[in-house]
This record gives sequence, C-alpha cells and structure tokens, in this order.
Amino acid sequence: MTDHTCASNTEGQLPRVVVAGLASCFGCQLQITNQEQYLTDILGRFDLQYWQLASSDPMPEDFDIVIIEGAVTTEEALEQVKALREVADTVITIGACANTGGIPGIAAAGYASRASEVYDSVPEACGTMIEPCAVSDVIAVDFQVPCCPIDFYEFAQILSAALMGSNRARRSTTMCNECKRQENPCFYPQGEICLGLVTSGGCMARCPSLGRPCMGCRGLSPKANLDSARESVASYNLSVEEFDRKLSIFNQTNAVLSAKDEASDD
Amino acid sequence: MTKSLLNIDHIARVEGHGNVHVVIENDQVKTVEMNIVEPARLFESMVRGHSYKDCSYIASRICGICSPSHCITDLKAVEDAFGVEVSDRTKLIRELLVYGSYLQNHASHLFVFVVPDFIGQPSVFPLAESDPELFAQALELKKLGNDLCTSVGGRSIHPITAVVGGFTHEISADEYLSFTRRMEEMIPFAKATVDLFSSFRITDIHTASDMLAMVEEDYYPVQSSNQLELLDEGVVFDAHDFEDYLEEYEVPHSGSLFTREKGSGKAVFTSALSRLNASWDHLSQEAKFASAKAGLRPEERNPMKNNLAQAIEILDALIRCSGICRELAKFEGSSKPVPYQVKAGVGVGMTEAPRGVVFHKLEFDADGKVVHASIITPTAQNLASLENDTRHLAEVLVESGLGEEHIRSEIAKLVRAYDPCLSCSVH
Repeated sequence: MTDHTCASNTEGQLPRVVVAGLASCFGCQLQITNQEQYLTDILGRFDLQYWQLASSDPMPEDFDIVIIEGAVTTEEALEQVKALREVADTVITIGACANTGGIPGIAAAGYASRASEVYDSVPEACGTMIEPCAVSDVIAVDFQVPCCPIDFYEFAQILSAALMGSNRARRSTTMCNECKRQENPCFYPQGEICLGLVTSGGCMARCPSLGRPCMGCRGLSPKANLDSARESVASYNLSVEEFDRKLSIFNQTNAVLSAKDEASDD
Repeated sequence: MTKSLLNIDHIARVEGHGNVHVVIENDQVKTVEMNIVEPARLFESMVRGHSYKDCSYIASRICGICSPSHCITDLKAVEDAFGVEVSDRTKLIRELLVYGSYLQNHASHLFVFVVPDFIGQPSVFPLAESDPELFAQALELKKLGNDLCTSVGGRSIHPITAVVGGFTHEISADEYLSFTRRMEEMIPFAKATVDLFSSFRITDIHTASDMLAMVEEDYYPVQSSNQLELLDEGVVFDAHDFEDYLEEYEVPHSGSLFTREKGSGKAVFTSALSRLNASWDHLSQEAKFASAKAGLRPEERNPMKNNLAQAIEILDALIRCSGICRELAKFEGSSKPVPYQVKAGVGVGMTEAPRGVVFHKLEFDADGKVVHASIITPTAQNLASLENDTRHLAEVLVESGLGEEHIRSEIAKLVRAYDPCLSCSVH
C-alpha cells in the first residue's frame, strides 16, 4: 500500500474488511467483540465482509483491508497470508501471535521434536506444520496492534489510522518508563524479575499496576538495551538465565534474541 | 446409486476452525467426520521447562474465551503439586472469575452464535435493527460477564491478578456491591432468555454418550470440587484418577485428540447440560423453577438442549454471583497469595469451563520447572460424542426425507449446541 492513502476502495464506499484467524487462542478477535457499547459504532465504519467468528457469510474474493490474528504455523497458513497480502491494500496484524510469534512462537525452539510430544503420529488435519513465526516475518504488514490480548482502544485507534490513512509511527519507549509514571513500586527490589525494562510500552503498565510483573507481551522494544538489562538483573542477585527464559515466552522468534543465542553457542 | 457429500466447511459462529464431512449413500448415512483443522500449537511441549510462576500465564493462552478456566485449572494443579491451601476468600473470588467467563461465554454463544440460526440470519447484527431491545440487553449481559472478568481478573480475557496462592489485586467493596446490583437487575432478562430458548423448535434426538460433570455434596460446583461423576456409569471419581477413567486417542481427520471412557470405549459428553443433569437439585430455587417451566429436568439426553441449559446457568450464575459479591464486599479474610514451598511433584487441577470439564496435570522438578504436562479440554472430550450425535441426527433427518439444505443447517445447529471450542481442543 502506498503511504497516506485512504483505505476506502471507491469514493463514497465504505472500505471492505475481512478478518482472518491463524494459530491463536481467538482472544484478540474476542477483545473486539468485548467492547459491547462501541461494537456497532466500530462496525458501522466499514463494510465487514467476512468474519468467521461472528457470521456464516463466506470469504469474498476482493476486499480492501484484512485484519489477521494468529501466528503462521503451517504451509497452508503461509500460502493464505501471502494470498491475503496480494488482495488487500492494507494488512493489519492484531495480537502477539501475529506480531512476534507470541505464545505459539515458544514452540520454535527445538521445533522438530515437539509434535511427537503431543501426537504419536501427527493427524492429516493438522496440515503441513512448519516452525511458527509472526505474520510480519513472511509478508509486509502495514499496521500492528500489539499485546496479548490486544487492548480494544488501541485497536480502535490503529484501525482509525488504517481507515483514514494517517500516520503509522510506532511507539518505541519501554514499558518501564510508563510504569514509573504510574508510580508503581518496582519488582526488582522485591526479588522479582519484570520484563518492563526491555518491552515496548503503550499498555500504561497494565500488569504491574495490578501487582504482576511484565511478561513482555508487547514484544522487545527497538530501544531495548539487553546487555544493560541483564546487568541490572544480576545486580539484584536475580538469575539472568531466568530473565532470558521469561523473555523467550513472547520473543522466541525475535532475531535479536536468537542472535544472542547463536553468539553464546560459539 | 445416489451418493451425496454434505460438507460444511468452516463452521461459522464457533470458536476456532473446523469442518463437518457427511457422506450419504442410497439414503444411508455412511460417514460422519468432525474435521478439526485448527492449527496445533503444542502447548504441552511449550510449557515444559518454564517456571510454575509462568505456567498458568502460558496455559491461559490455550483459549481466549475459556482463559479464566484454564488459568484457574492450572493454578489448582500447581497448588496441588506443592500442597498449597488457599484462603476461602481466594476460592470465592476464583468462583466469581469462573462465573464471569460463564456469563461472557454463554451470552456470546447464545446470542451471537446460536440466535441467528433460529431467526434465519447469517449473523446477530441484523437483530440490532429488527429487535434493538433484545440486541441491547443481550450485549448488556455479555458486558456484565466481561466487566466481572475485567474487575476481578484485571482484563476481560487472560486474567492478570490470579496467581499461585491467591490474587495480586482486588476491587473495592463498592465495586463488589455495584456488581450485586447489576446482577440483580439482569435477572428478569435472564428469565426471558430461558423462555426464548425454550421456545425454539429443535429436532428430537438422544445422545448415547455418558455425561461427565464435576460434583459436590449439596452444591452446584464449577471450581470448588475435585470429584467428578460419569452419570450413566454411576461412578464418582477423584480428578487425580482421571486417566483411569478417560483416555485420549488420535483420528486422522482431526487435529484435536478424541476422548473415550477407558474400558467401555463409550463417548463422553461434558457440558452445561451434563452439569444440570448431575446437579439439578443444587440449582438456586429460581433457576430450578425456570428450568422446570422450560421442560428441562434430569435426565435430559437431547444435546440440542445444551443451549437451554446454558440459559438456565446464566440465571443461576446471576443469583449465585450477586450473593458472592455481597459476601466479598464484607472484606473478611484475605486473598493475598499465601506463602508456599516449591518442590518436585505432580499436581492435577480440574474446573468446569463454560463448555465442560477441563483437566491440567503438571509435573515439576525441585526448582518448580515443568517437566511434563497433560491437558484435556472439554471439546477434546466432546468430539467423539458430537460425531456420534451428528450421525444420529443425519439418520433421523434422512429417514424423514428431508433435503440436503435442511440436513446441513440442522447439523450446524447441533455443532453449535455443543458450543465447541476448537481452538481449545487443538492446543
């Protein structure tokens, strides 16, 4: 899609939107339905042509915007996202699975032996399973709604940007920054590892504000200083290995982390 | 010879991805397959090596809509392994969280997924124009469930505050009381919902599956018990022994494992209807009255009536939770995580998710890292039963001389009546 164009297909017509679900818990699609008071307002802003979760209408051949939830875990899904990219002017990925590989991405480490832990022989219905990855690893993505699950208001904001063709700047500060502004007590002096040090901000420290350390669901911040963060972890006598393990929960397929793994293998 | 293939591809208005394949030859139903094509994420392998602290966080992601159930089941398994005894207050809040997901799930399922079948529409959205009041109230009921999960768990799905030993955060007494008020106000609509679903005409079929539900003396349990009953077998057993009674098996056409009774090989059915059959006597008075008025009394074997059972559970949940919120507003006891010792061992957790019993079995090493995990979701238990009942339904309809379109739409209705969660089933 060329920059700064409105996503509506023809003058005066509402943009045609389809929603596609890959490997996920369906939670981000649910989050969209979970803001009951705004649901009809949101739906009124575009022409929703396909949403398997909510309607038995079939997927059309042509549309303007595709919203993709879930990670790519099969050859079939890989072909599907490429085909969606061919048709759509605008691709929006929602949730950690689609954006970082998310929870399904955990399986990327040592992938070859994993299926045999669940199945004696993998059923045909599973398709051709491949190492999980984010949608943005295999096609160009125009807008990303991070988090596990997505926050509805952030979704509405990014969807508006997609519908209106406005700016798509991504926040690059870390969660830690926002948490301090909420005046939350830090977990480190309490002996708990928190991933806010290196995780992209934008959630206004939702979990730490409720007494739970950040698990990194928004993905590694482009500004993350991993070496310095690891030093901080060690300075509190906490395990750097444990910090890295936690970080792998949402960032297993992130090249920055795997680069580090390869370096340490040498 | 006439042969017809009745395929329903991408069953709409269910959680996850699945197809139904039916082959009818010379008016004989030959094959019925629940083709579950949801991608396998391999959760049992994914939690291995992770800390007990993060296990419920990961396991909750098995399913968006069942996330409170997976979260609490997993916490129960961890606590069972470490010998953690949580406070009564924590147990009560967990019950509220599970019921929040019932309200959320049952309202979404009944109004967004099922109602379109009975008003002849592809989705619920036309209802916004044809019956705005019903649409608004249905959304309000769903919102109440979401708000309850958000307030108690920190977010409408994937709870934040529920951790091993207790909760990291609680709402104020005023907030609890405001839920009591909202629940009481919603009761008339819940009664009207029971009436609405009892007015829908359904095909008369009977499942041959054995119903499975959590049971507890003098109570309608959803998370408080560790006992289960297989109703036909008449056997009550402890969740720790679930592998002695149930076994999973693979079929080529499904990414989800199927489940059968060990020994008899019989299919099992776990659901709101199973709970109602098992614990009807312990429903609140008003819910029992509404159930009787709607003609649903044990033993009810028509799986299509699971929708009605869910409507009755909504009413029961509102009555029950309004009382729980009033109790919690007194702020007696604490829900702060209790101290515990991490140790090597095996634990089993079990709850009643909105769509039936879910088991998590976790084995830990001495550092509290997961060594082995086994998870059986309600839909994985129900698929064999759903396949059998679909065959039975197709046979009844073929015998009545009904056309393909009609058979197809009735099968879709049956699938939805089971309220399958396909993303859960292939986890």
